[in-house]
Amino acid sequence: MTATLACEGLRKRYGDVTAVEDVGFSIAPGQAYGLLGPNGAGKTTTISMLVGLLRPDAGTVLVGGTDLAADPRRAKARIGYVPQEIALYPELTGRENLRFFGRLFGLARRGLAGRIEEVLDLIGLSDRADGRLDTYSGGMRRRINIGAALLHRPDVLILDEPTVGVDPQSRKAILDGLELLVGDGMSLLYTSHYMEEVERVCDRVAIIDHGRIIAEGTRRELIAMVGSADKIELVLDGDVEAAYAKLRTVEGVIEAARTGAESVRLIAEGGRYLLPALISAVEGSATVTATQVIEPDLEATFLHLTGTSLRD
Amino acid sequence: MWRAMLTVSALELRTRLRDGTAIVIAVIVPVTLATLFGLALGGDDPPLRATVGFVDLDHGEFPASVRREVLASEELKGAVTLRDLPGEEQARRALDAGEIGSAIVFPAGFSQSVGAGRGGDVAVLTSPESPLAGVVAGAVVDRISAVVDARTLAVHAVLLAGVPGERVKELVERNGAAGPALTLAEDPLSGGKVDLSVYYGSGMAALFAFFVVGASFRGLLTERKLGTLDRIRAGPVAAWVPVAGKGVVGFGLGVVSVCVCWASSTLIFGTTWGDPVAVFAVLVAHVLAAAAITMLVASRVRTDAQADGVIMVVSFVAAFFGGSLVPLYDLPEPLRAVALLTPNGWTSTALTELAGAGAAGSVGAVAGPIGVLCAIALAAGGTAVAGFRKGLLL
Ligand SMILES: Nc1ncnc2c1ncn2[C@@H]1O[C@H](COP(=O)(O)OP(=O)(O)O)[C@@H](O)[C@H]1O
Ligand SMILES: [Mg+2]
Repeated sequence: MTATLACEGLRKRYGDVTAVEDVGFSIAPGQAYGLLGPNGAGKTTTISMLVGLLRPDAGTVLVGGTDLAADPRRAKARIGYVPQEIALYPELTGRENLRFFGRLFGLARRGLAGRIEEVLDLIGLSDRADGRLDTYSGGMRRRINIGAALLHRPDVLILDEPTVGVDPQSRKAILDGLELLVGDGMSLLYTSHYMEEVERVCDRVAIIDHGRIIAEGTRRELIAMVGSADKIELVLDGDVEAAYAKLRTVEGVIEAARTGAESVRLIAEGGRYLLPALISAVEGSATVTATQVIEPDLEATFLHLTGTSLRD
Repeated sequence: MWRAMLTVSALELRTRLRDGTAIVIAVIVPVTLATLFGLALGGDDPPLRATVGFVDLDHGEFPASVRREVLASEELKGAVTLRDLPGEEQARRALDAGEIGSAIVFPAGFSQSVGAGRGGDVAVLTSPESPLAGVVAGAVVDRISAVVDARTLAVHAVLLAGVPGERVKELVERNGAAGPALTLAEDPLSGGKVDLSVYYGSGMAALFAFFVVGASFRGLLTERKLGTLDRIRAGPVAAWVPVAGKGVVGFGLGVVSVCVCWASSTLIFGTTWGDPVAVFAVLVAHVLAAAAITMLVASRVRTDAQADGVIMVVSFVAAFFGGSLVPLYDLPEPLRAVALLTPNGWTSTALTELAGAGAAGSVGAVAGPIGVLCAIALAAGGTAVAGFRKGLLL
């Protein structure tokens, strides 16, 4: 099957700064693909090359099999691009903005009004469509910013950090909407520096740092890269020293450390299933008053791979 | 692709009419001209003053912007005073009593009616005792009606964007014919120094062309800042669409603005600039050169604020050395050579020649300057396109 969007060997340098180096991936029809990386990692630069705003120093972009460099208009017609900033006219109404871009992107006049209604409905702005954009809340602007990219029914929607600066309620509305679109068969390229959004929306994730993709795979595959061991935090009451000695010997525990007068941290395989064994092991010396099992997640993978936290 | 370009143009036209640049062209230029000549031709008489009654029953954007423009105009400071009056009846009484020289009356609902594309009528009251005030009020109203026509048309065009050519033409004719007309039958300031009035009128036209046409290319940079330019470029449209769509509107408004200067100079002072076809050809060539030069500026700067500054400097330098502000023969010899590097110099030379030749002038007589203006346009435009390719466009 032809990939909806595929790129290979993308490179962009600004003088001495390498913004993007050897970036390549492929998005299948109906797949939601995440590009996860901290600020300055090269996400926007990569997207700019994918949508034809920036000419790559090297590499190719194929949209539904069409080479972007060779036939840009045909390739671009299949892409819906949602810029990082709200890129619409503040002095026009929501509907006027959509009409402008609908016409510009060659939608037939006959179907345009109906299509605008559909999109407004999808982004939940039907009742505010005739208000000027500069009277919209931040969340509403974000939504119409996405709506303007959907008018021409693209095969793939490319979003550059679409939830930055959005209140939790709008964020949820946006993510719900995107899941609906993917459910209807649209492909998605979603960039973010929010781990939990990418984990929620995307089937497949690439982690990008300093312009390079350093890991790529499904969520499960990425997490497995740091191993399957869980972290278990226990709070104990009683003879903590004796309990600690017993805990170290329990089958499955790889490592143990005292983290406080009454607390112990264990690294163990299959943490959740080990809990009963741990609780019975300390019987007689101490009682367990609190437990917390931390399973590995993308954040852990990211830390492991880059040595830095995502949010800086 | 033409439809995409037309879409960009329709929005640009609408923006320009909304933000008042069109009003500046249409109101300030002729009013400035009227005042300038009122002062120039008044000679040693005490400075001319006029009090114009202002009756605003509309309370909308039109009277507000007219008031703003008149108050903000340096040239009118001290010469023209606006006096607010509550109604037409009071204005008539004040006029009879000689407290005001003329009055402009905006009826209720005027702005709304114009905004809805239905046109509108502004009334002007004049008194034979105060001709200057009459001219000022008349010039203002004259220009308002031009804006009303343009806006009525624009509203229709925007509503129906993508209308086929013959429909637009029909709209132009219908709206043009039905628009509020105003004739300045009495021309108290006519006669006098014909040469000087043509001279200043054409200089003003040459200078304004830069600002008017530059505003559209500056708009490209505003859109770059907004991010809408990137959104357009990421869409399935040809790379030249945003530049051409805006450029066409800037060029069109530029031609309108130079023709407004020409028309007001002719109507208000009863002067002639010479053979109309030749004058029009020179003016269009000048606007083309100004468009290319301001496009070059837009392709080389980063922000719209920078574009404003650079266009301002370029416009005034070209106007000064090109003889648009000070007659060329008043400049020292070495500077006169510099005039040949500016479009203004060639435009000024050609127009002076046409005015001097009167009915004997023709396009052939000014083919040289027109050719040079086109060459300037081609050189600047070509360099600009190369710049756009590197920066703004893929
Ligand atoms: N126009 C530019 N000129 C110079 N450096 C740039 C330019 N655009 C981006 N960069 C650099 O490229 C790197 C990647 O930037 P960007 O793609 O915006 O990252 P992200 O979107 O992931 O935050 C950063 O180091 C940034 O400073
Ligand atoms: Mg970014």
